[in-house]
Amino acid sequence: MEGLLQLLFNGLSVGAVYALFALGYTLVFSVLGVINFAHGAIFTMGAYFTYLLIGGAVGANGLLAGLQFPFALPFWLALPLAGIAAAAVALVVERIAFRPLRDRGSDPLLALITSLGAGVILVNLIQLLVGAESYSIPVGTLGSLPAALSIAGAKVRTVQVMLLAISGLLLAALSIWINGSRSGKALQAVSEDPVTAQLLGINSARVIQIAFGISGFLAGMAGGLVGLSISIAGPYFGIGYGLKGLGVLVLGGLGSVPGAVLGGLIIGLAEACVPADLSGYKDAVSFGFLFLVLLVRPQGLLGRPQANKV
Amino acid sequence: MLRSGGLTPAPMKRRLASSLAALLSAAAALSACQGTEDQGPVNLSKGVPVGAVLALTGNANVYGQDQKIGIELSLAALNGAGGVNGKPLSLSIEDGGSAEPSANAAVSLQINRGILALIGPTLSQQSFSAGPIAQRRGVPLVAPSNTATGIPEIGYFISRVSAQSSVIAPLSIAKALQLNPGIRRAAVFYAQDDAYSTAETVIFQQALTAKGLKPVTVQRTQLNDQDFQSQITAALNQKPDLVVLSLQAMDGGNLIRQLRELGYRGAIVVGNGMNTPNIYPICQKYCDGILIAQAYSPELQTPANQRFTAAFAAAQARNPKVSPIPPQLTAQAYTAMQVIGEALARLDRRQPLKGLPLAQARKALMAEILGGTYQTPLGEIRFTPEGEVIQKNFFVAQVRMNAGGKSGRFSLLP
Repeated sequence: MEGLLQLLFNGLSVGAVYALFALGYTLVFSVLGVINFAHGAIFTMGAYFTYLLIGGAVGANGLLAGLQFPFALPFWLALPLAGIAAAAVALVVERIAFRPLRDRGSDPLLALITSLGAGVILVNLIQLLVGAESYSIPVGTLGSLPAALSIAGAKVRTVQVMLLAISGLLLAALSIWINGSRSGKALQAVSEDPVTAQLLGINSARVIQIAFGISGFLAGMAGGLVGLSISIAGPYFGIGYGLKGLGVLVLGGLGSVPGAVLGGLIIGLAEACVPADLSGYKDAVSFGFLFLVLLVRPQGLLGRPQANKV
Repeated sequence: MLRSGGLTPAPMKRRLASSLAALLSAAAALSACQGTEDQGPVNLSKGVPVGAVLALTGNANVYGQDQKIGIELSLAALNGAGGVNGKPLSLSIEDGGSAEPSANAAVSLQINRGILALIGPTLSQQSFSAGPIAQRRGVPLVAPSNTATGIPEIGYFISRVSAQSSVIAPLSIAKALQLNPGIRRAAVFYAQDDAYSTAETVIFQQALTAKGLKPVTVQRTQLNDQDFQSQITAALNQKPDLVVLSLQAMDGGNLIRQLRELGYRGAIVVGNGMNTPNIYPICQKYCDGILIAQAYSPELQTPANQRFTAAFAAAQARNPKVSPIPPQLTAQAYTAMQVIGEALARLDRRQPLKGLPLAQARKALMAEILGGTYQTPLGEIRFTPEGEVIQKNFFVAQVRMNAGGKSGRFSLLP
């Protein structure tokens, strides 16, 4: 029982991050039908914004070497502010990498490449400004909370519990917004059929901007939380999460918000189920699992089958 | 039945043929260009050309930053003392990233620039990939930080100033057992996709077995892993009182932090991958107490080391947040540059570099490198005919973090 609980904690704490990450992908995919490959870079920027806002100093490399804000915000304030800053970056990405192509009626596939380019530019920009070194959010940022909790004999780091709780809150807030607000329903309408939504008086361009903003906010928050948990391993550290997030997106079903959550948690649990002495192969196991699921359900767990138009 | 290519129209065939011809001509021109570079005289117009390929980006960047400082200090010292018999050394540094393809590209680029010798790459894994390029092109490569078994064996032109794991790693295990003879259960972690980690863990596990401590668990990770909750909780179930890590700085630092946060209080021995003060910001206060065997001590009282430590402290004085005590990787990189500089000076006296064909100069330089004895910050070193470093002094240090856990030092153990 204790072992099972431990496994559950291990899986859920990792899976919650994957879910949060994949939600950003999902929101953009649902309205545009393409994947925003700059999402990993925005996630990374969220981590750096959080680090700077809590009073962290830039290291010896980069154009901003030695920079430190004259204030140090508590983590709980810095995290949402970092999310907002990341949302602003996501809006810039939408304006530069997506909108010009959309306005010209280009093939949506081209946006994959422009977003990939935007992601590479952002990562290089981070490196240019703050160098390639790693940064850590100080131990003790969570105040007097203990480093780990013991629940029914299973051990879990407090930061992981926080991560799980905040991810859960964000997911719940997102669901409420999508189903209970006018803008959320407009997003659903645009994702269903952008042309009809436009005819019904919905400003599709505005809805797309909202999707990018929320996607960036979630990415920024996820970046800050992961930075708190395992430190910021340089400008490229979002890339690994980007790959895993893609897997989650496909497993859950392209464009499905509940699917992204379910996919994230399943991939996290699948990784945790890998026997400890084979844990170096967990990526292969989780992607192998994804492969098997897709053989049975090509549309993903909660995705809808794509009807072919004749 | 259709003939092969029977559906290809004639103009397209002509275009294909001309494209192929152009491609072949370009390839021939490139290879000819490469041959000319290698066979022409050494280009001394901007100084005596030496190159370095360091991991300045990616997850090993923390090592590359340390090494860059060491190489630049050594270059300044060599040029301050007259360079290569009056000719200044000219250094070009390329970022080899933290992966093999980027290191291969950087090494090829440096060689094509006509350098006489190369320092790097940073990681053993990269040297196993890029070393054969230097060997094939006949360029002396001095590895400043590769500790995996088999690096000098890549070929005649490959040497290293970093003593291999099999020499150093067992010292820290012995010290841990000396400090706590009651240790009975060892847990081992290593990155299974990293050449350094896989080589070093074998040495560690052999050293443990030799002391009667068969590991109770061996946990495998991957180089880019940052979350180790699963591996740690599995290891802690075995109730270890010694944890031995063969990991790089970033993943190792994270693992230590998570290990301590999850309640482990026993001894921790780490390998050479964590031999850098850059681990302090990662594991912070949890770095305190870890044991590490080292090939360099800042406290070594030799003129060469005193000059080096003074130069390092002076350079770092500009940044008060950085420790004035040099780390091992910086000392080893300094040494690699010193070895090349001194060997070049000897070669130039024997056979003036001016007008010497590049390929011949590189070959003669390799012989000089292997034949010399060097008074370095690491102490006196020389090389075996295979290019393996022969070094006298090794040390075991314990990390001591300052109050607040933001900075620390490697404190030598008697």
